[in-house]
Amino acid sequence: MVGHIKLAGLIAIFLVVFFPSLTLAQDVNFGVSPAEVRINDLPPGEATEFELTIRNKDEIAHVFTFATFQPPEEERREGRAEFPDDSWISFSSPGIELAANSQANVTVTVAIPQEQKWAGEHWETWLGVAAESSDLLAIRLYVRLLVSTNPAAEARFNAGLVAGIVVGIVLLGYGSYYYFRRKTKSE
Amino acid sequence: MKAVITSIVVAIILALIFSLPALAQESGTITITMTGVNEISISLDKTQWPLGNVASNTEYETSPQIEWCTLTVEGNCNVNTFIVGEDAEWVDNPGAYKWTLSSDGTNGENVYGLQFRISGDTTRGPLVDGYVPVTKIESEFWPYSGGSGSSLAPDDTKQFGLKLLTPTYFIGGRQMQTQITISAVAA
Repeated sequence: MVGHIKLAGLIAIFLVVFFPSLTLAQDVNFGVSPAEVRINDLPPGEATEFELTIRNKDEIAHVFTFATFQPPEEERREGRAEFPDDSWISFSSPGIELAANSQANVTVTVAIPQEQKWAGEHWETWLGVAAESSDLLAIRLYVRLLVSTNPAAEARFNAGLVAGIVVGIVLLGYGSYYYFRRKTKSE
Repeated sequence: MKAVITSIVVAIILALIFSLPALAQESGTITITMTGVNEISISLDKTQWPLGNVASNTEYETSPQIEWCTLTVEGNCNVNTFIVGEDAEWVDNPGAYKWTLSSDGTNGENVYGLQFRISGDTTRGPLVDGYVPVTKIESEFWPYSGGSGSSLAPDDTKQFGLKLLTPTYFIGGRQMQTQITISAVAA
């Protein structure tokens, strides 16, 4: 029995670790604006950009990193589908260092490939901004990015096609008429 | 002859009617709407939990239990908040040894559990005691599905505490580090 107690004591002694233990607890506080960005009528094949402002409200400098995040369906705005490809979104910098109580901008570019299937879509994705830290608790702020592509792309394509066909038929008709008229005259 | 020319002119006019609006759309404006000057921001008044040595298969709670850390909405928009955890890694050699974060707050060999409880929340979680597992999948912090709470408004606060359940077995003498991320998005 004594042996068992000793063994249990040894196990307790050996199986110990340290979790990060610093003497002073720090807070973390920063902000991102705007909280939501809506891009409307972005035609497939085109790109647009906007700026996010990151404000470090802490008394110490922080490195802020940026990444896209696919929100779960129940968190998306009504009528919004999953953004098809995160690689269509890029940041001017993967991260920035901000001094205490200072702010900076990062440019976000959204580029939609030129494919007809991306016309008339309504997507949502989140842009995550996080302060790098080795502390136990960290904060990440998400900016909602709502992107709607130009629904007229398909109509525009069809209208152009119709116009082209009409002009082609007219020119062909006129050419034929002119040809046969000259031929008749020469005979 | 006159009829033919007239029909050609009419056809060209028709073609222009179709194609001009289409051409006009090529130079259509992309609208980007930043939702007001809304800033999203939250703060935590604590980010570290100085645990020191821990024994195997033991529960540790923050002190005070459920009012240990205060989350404050600092921005000017309502927010929904989320929480996510990760595996704990050996500080000296992160790739060589880790404790896996369990998906339900329980523990096992080299598997640890983490739970949070928000002050005032007495019936949430699998055991209906207010404690909710922190997992590697981002899940609701506040508000939550099935709860009566609403999004947090500017200046709102939420106090919460953490509970750690150490693995039933782990290699001792190693400093382990993990991170819990609390995130927010505009409601």
